[in-house]
Amino acid sequence: MIQKKICLLGASSVGKTSLVKQFVEGIFNEKYLTTIGVKIDKKIVSIENKQVQFLLWDIEGNDRYNVFQERYLRGAAAYIIVVDQTRISSFMEGIDIHTLARKASNCPAILAINKNDLQANWHWEDKELKDYKDLFELQFSTSAKTGENVEDMFTALARLLAES
Amino acid sequence: MTSLLNNVLNAMEQVVLEVVDSNAGTFRLIEGDSDWVSELFPNANHQKIFAIDDNIPFLQDFLIDARLIWHDKKNGRVRSGFWTEVVANNKELHLEAIAIKQEIYTLLIISNQTEEFIFRQNTMQSARELLLHNDRLVEQNEYLHTRLLDILSKPSGQNDILVALTKAIENAGFAVLIADNNLSTIIANTAAVNLFEQDKLLSNEQTTPMDVIVQLLKNQLPEYERIISTKSSWDGELCWISPPSTLKWLKVALYPVLDELNEVKNWIVFANDISNIKYLVQRNEQLALQDMLTELPNRIAFWQTLEKQIKSNTPFYLLYVDINDFRRHNEFYGHDEGDKLLVEISGRIKSTIKESDFIARVGGDEFAIILNNVDNQEWCEKVVERIIGCTRKGFETRKSGSFHISLSIGAASFPHDAQSVEELMKFVDLSAYNGKQAKANSLQFYSQSMKDASRQLIETENELRLAIKNNEFELFLQPIVDLERHSIVKAESLIRWNHPTKGQIHPEVFIPIAEKSGLIIIIGKWVIDTACKMAEKLNAMGHQVKISLNLSPSQVFDENLFPHLHACVKQYKIDPALLELEITEGVLVDDYAITEKLLNKVRAIGMSVAIDDFGTGYSSLAYLKKLPLDFLKIDQSFVKDIVNDDNDKAIVRAVIAMAHNLNLGVIAEGVETEEQLNFLSNNACNSVQGYLFSEPVDFKSFIALLEKQKR
Repeated sequence: MIQKKICLLGASSVGKTSLVKQFVEGIFNEKYLTTIGVKIDKKIVSIENKQVQFLLWDIEGNDRYNVFQERYLRGAAAYIIVVDQTRISSFMEGIDIHTLARKASNCPAILAINKNDLQANWHWEDKELKDYKDLFELQFSTSAKTGENVEDMFTALARLLAES
Repeated sequence: MTSLLNNVLNAMEQVVLEVVDSNAGTFRLIEGDSDWVSELFPNANHQKIFAIDDNIPFLQDFLIDARLIWHDKKNGRVRSGFWTEVVANNKELHLEAIAIKQEIYTLLIISNQTEEFIFRQNTMQSARELLLHNDRLVEQNEYLHTRLLDILSKPSGQNDILVALTKAIENAGFAVLIADNNLSTIIANTAAVNLFEQDKLLSNEQTTPMDVIVQLLKNQLPEYERIISTKSSWDGELCWISPPSTLKWLKVALYPVLDELNEVKNWIVFANDISNIKYLVQRNEQLALQDMLTELPNRIAFWQTLEKQIKSNTPFYLLYVDINDFRRHNEFYGHDEGDKLLVEISGRIKSTIKESDFIARVGGDEFAIILNNVDNQEWCEKVVERIIGCTRKGFETRKSGSFHISLSIGAASFPHDAQSVEELMKFVDLSAYNGKQAKANSLQFYSQSMKDASRQLIETENELRLAIKNNEFELFLQPIVDLERHSIVKAESLIRWNHPTKGQIHPEVFIPIAEKSGLIIIIGKWVIDTACKMAEKLNAMGHQVKISLNLSPSQVFDENLFPHLHACVKQYKIDPALLELEITEGVLVDDYAITEKLLNKVRAIGMSVAIDDFGTGYSSLAYLKKLPLDFLKIDQSFVKDIVNDDNDKAIVRAVIAMAHNLNLGVIAEGVETEEQLNFLSNNACNSVQGYLFSEPVDFKSFIALLEKQKR
């Protein structure tokens, strides 16, 4: 079976681990527990009779205590930049991480604007939206809590990777 | 395996694998047989060869880095960093791999790091929760601060203000107090009452939350007096100890609400109990003494060092570095860019001082530096030159290009200026604050004269306030003569202060103080009002004379300026074409976009616009072309020597030609002689102003001039 390495990147406490947990196990835990280092989960996704095994690299969030490490991107088929829609700073950090990741890999990048079950406290201007949309192959508004768009995002990613 | 080494490795939770074929990823287990080893490598019986494959993808990936070490001729090692592996029964192992090349041996050590992992996770959990908490607090504080300012800026006497305030603060989630100018509480929310609740049985005297805060500020903040007297904002941490059982860490923010006279109307106080977070952070000593953002020592670390330094009795200079207009940068570029700026500037400053010196972040945009073993001013100046030099290179933003900043630096020496921590801090803080007025890079050494000047400034400011209340100002007019019509077509309005004891004071003396203190806004409104009244009267008398008004930078940036101008024009029913606004080049440079907006609006209603003191500032043709302007006023310094100085002749000719090319009229200021007038007249200057025609005169005398002209 084909294996695809997918890295989840982003600032700390944006919900990378929760997205993986929701996708792989279908559960959500309210309590925030910070990730240290890397944890890899596996899940098989079926696309038009083809099966792909995703290796989901859940990587410790980047902040002033943990700098971005490009080596984790080695061999990645795609990466997902996760941001928290209740904190605009997480978006700016996400864009910074994306810029660094782009230097290390040309693989498809997806933007997951997570925590869409909570009220957003920032809104994009039309022009900004367009500018940032262009930076990513796909973009989703997700909630690891309700599960909204989580499955859809990974399925769309599998489809995108199957096409390429 | 019963060897000593095996026992040691088991005790250390490690396993040693020997590389059999690095390219194939095959290994042999040498020593270490803890239970978790067989859970991780089920096929790794002693001495049996096994492969690390995609069952453990993290480790498989790490082998790429490991091979570089194993294939190298030199000894070396590389670590994988922590990863978590789920084994049978959903058990999680927290591991780290180390690839080693030592002489002829190529080894892979796997270390079960559960203990270290949990320790790190706990620390990071605290640190990240603190980050999140701070982020949210900043957002909430900002939102509520804006909302309260909005409510409090409404005219006093409105009954619904108290209701609106109560609604706004009750559900804030942190303590909010609104006090009058004497810091007496007007209203406090339930969170404030709860936060400052004390044991009623034990304490005889119940103090209010505001009493507690003020006491803490006085005891723990050397800048307190300066903050209150200069109506500044402050935010930071305070420790509240009230025996026998209260020990709380509070994050407190103090904001002034100013009225039109720039006097404090209210104080807004926010207080958050951060004891839990403080406790979590303090478990890690490094975090307790370090500023999270810049990784420099924090305020507490700074105080400790300063105390030690004073005890050691060796001379040093203390610097207090403040970023000018930081708040404006923060608002304009966003908090992330503000944070980025702080990180970068702290790095740059650090690189300019010696290893033996000490730098800390002691406030939002403030840094303190101890220059060890520096006992003369000259040395101190050299260091400051380097610090200022490091800010000359622009600061890059993510989206909006780069910008420049300037610093205000206060300096005081130990033991010369002060001998205690509190006094030293107070002095450098005051010095930096004094320098800040210049809005450019500045260094202020503490001195008695500075202290006196500061007192003098406050006195004049208070007198100005009285002058506004007592109506001590008068508007003079200086005629502007049209050279084609040979008549007064315009007059520049110039303010005078009729001081009850000091006599008439010219604007050069008091306008800079009014500008610094913010009183310029209300004085400017008085000027606009008075000028409109004069225009109305002149019009009624049949004189079609335009009155020009000088606008200061603060007025141009005041969003209420245009509505006020418009309202006055309507109130006095005057033709807006009878008013002209004069702005200096400096204002344009400060903020082109805001100026352009204002000028477009005033011209849209029919007023005209002139650039004052042309040629003395940053003359840029670019803005002259783009901005909606009508006149240029050539500064009197060019007119003064126009008859004898060939350079000035050339400049004035060029300015006139350029202005005419751009369809702008030209007014020459400071014309005092017939020769100057002839030159200007011969070179197509449109209008002139100066003592040759008349000095600035009171309204009555101005009318007399007009009457005389009629005859």
